[in-house]
Amino acid sequence: MAGALTERDFVDKLQRAGFTKIEIVERTPMGVDDCALYPLFTPEVLNLMRTLIPPERQRTIGTAIVVQARLDTSKS
Amino acid sequence: MTETSLRRDLMRSAEIKGIVRSAYAAVDASSETLARKLYSAEQLARVPQNAIERALGVGNHLRHAEIDPGETLLDLGCGGGIDAILAAHRAGPAGRVIALDFLPEMLERTSAAAIEAGLDTIQPLEGDIEAIPLPDDSVDHIISNGVINLAPRKARVLAECARVLRSGGKLTLADLTVAEEELPPEIVTHPATWAG
Repeated sequence: MAGALTERDFVDKLQRAGFTKIEIVERTPMGVDDCALYPLFTPEVLNLMRTLIPPERQRTIGTAIVVQARLDTSKS
Repeated sequence: MTETSLRRDLMRSAEIKGIVRSAYAAVDASSETLARKLYSAEQLARVPQNAIERALGVGNHLRHAEIDPGETLLDLGCGGGIDAILAAHRAGPAGRVIALDFLPEMLERTSAAAIEAGLDTIQPLEGDIEAIPLPDDSVDHIISNGVINLAPRKARVLAECARVLRSGGKLTLADLTVAEEELPPEIVTHPATWAG
């Protein structure tokens, strides 16, 4: 999560890499309770999240997106 | 970028990769609850239990993926193999799924799951997503689930995707994004949040 981009930056990097027809086809909010489903989040970091993130933000601390794109057909 | 800042950036990059590598290698607990949240019962019915218990993705990108029979797919960061197996079923016996991961432990799990699923079209490949060990223009479709956010150099990963994809090739991925408003520094600097 610490390395995640904003959606705008993600799309921008896809465009710069030569991808076209970029479409975000799904967006799913990810909250602290969702993070707890991953064994990668330690109890310590989950506790930090629950303590430091305001309650109103805890349901959406990130967004899982599904992206479809095509590589530019002019690739040489 | 000066030579000093480049060196510092590369050191930080190596540090992040080390954190991610250690965290994923240490995963022992089942993530079956997560898999049952992300995937349909019909999808999971085609996947061995071991792969279900090692699902660590963030979405169900394959629900949207247009996979044609006979395609060569690359699963970028295959993990325990759940998506490689689902993709291999859809690509059929003439297709191929190259399952790339930088952890041998994950590749072993994917290989075991492929055998259990009766699939011989999954090809495990050890490597770094920032330097994909495949030739140019060798893949029809790249899939990835919750992996690009883990890479220190995301532009490099996407440039590598463009290099190995054939002209007009497809990219279907799920990944985590964050809002412009940053999370508290105690959280974004915690090593566990670089892997999770």
